[in-house]
Formats: sequence, structure tokens, C-alpha cells
Amino acid sequence: MISEELSGQIAAPRPATAGRTLAATVATFIVPGLGHLILGKVVRGAIIGGVIIIMFVLGFAMEGHLYKPDPNEWLTWFFSFLNAGMGLPYLVCVLADWGVQITPEQASKVTFEYGNTFLCVAGALNILAAMDTYDIGVGRKS
Amino acid sequence: MTHFMALVLFSLLVSVAFAALSSEHHNTQERVKYGAKVFGYFVGVGFLIAWALYFLPI
Repeated sequence: MISEELSGQIAAPRPATAGRTLAATVATFIVPGLGHLILGKVVRGAIIGGVIIIMFVLGFAMEGHLYKPDPNEWLTWFFSFLNAGMGLPYLVCVLADWGVQITPEQASKVTFEYGNTFLCVAGALNILAAMDTYDIGVGRKS
Repeated sequence: MTHFMALVLFSLLVSVAFAALSSEHHNTQERVKYGAKVFGYFVGVGFLIAWALYFLPI
């Protein structure tokens, strides 16, 4: 499977079973890249998972924070949706209140907005990765 | 970390992900070329926007 992936030959996509497709898509929201690994796309899963996890970690390292929907600020719903794309890691952080609150010191850092962007884009990329996993599972993509 | 370093880091990570997720590029060589192109666009357009904003009286 790996050699096929690296050789670059275009093979007709083979759909996985519905259960495996569902499991792979859900797995992407538990650990980024895991869905691809379940479907045998080891290299792609490692690259995508690695990139998303690095972006998530860098987001916090740059003093970014995660958004929670606030009924009084409609824009927070959009950013929360992007953040929630990370799946389980977002849920754990929100429930444990890790990286959600903002301190004035944190907000004054030059990299604060970069951190927020990294966290939002990590979630958005994970949503794309989940869609990619689904497409591979149903045989729409190889 | 400088603004430019953050831009380069962001561009690098996103272009790698885009290249890996692309459905129109089927082999490693095509994906690497596409990733390099996306990376160049990100950095280039970011640079142009930064200079455009520099001259705006904001």
C-alpha cells in the first residue's frame, strides 16, 4: 500500500466498507491523520496528522487561545467552528478550560493573533482531512 | 519570532497539507511541485499585501 502510494501510479480507487469509512472519518476527529492510517494511507496520514498537530502546538506556543461560542459576539461562532474542527483535542481543552481564557499579558504579545490563526487553521485543515478520509473511503479518491 | 518567520512557517505547513490533500496531483513529484507553488503564492501574496498596507494611511 505504501509503495503504491509512493510510486505515483494512478490506480482505480477501491472503496472501503461503510463501517471502515465511518470509523476512519470519526478517527480523524480523535487524532488528526488517524483516519488515513486506518484506510492504509500511511504516508499521507503521517504528513497531514503531523502538520495539523504541529500547527495546534505552535498556536499555543505563540500564546494563541481557543474560542468558545458567545451569544453576544457572533464572530466567535465562526472561530469556534474552526477550532472545533480539531475534534477531541478541542473538546478536551474546552472542558478542562485549557487555553480558552485570555490574560491581558497574553493578548499584548506580538504573536497572539498568529497563535489564534494557527489554531483556527489547524482545525480547518482537520475538517479537510476528514473530508479527504471520507472521499477515500467511498472510493471517490485514491 | 518575527512577522515574516510566522508567515513563512504558516505558509510551509499549509502548503504541505494542501499538497498532501490535493486530488488533482497523483504522484509525489506533482505534489511537491504543487506544494512549492502554493508556498510561493502564500509568501509572495503576503509580502505584496504587507507592502500595500505599509503605504496606506491606516
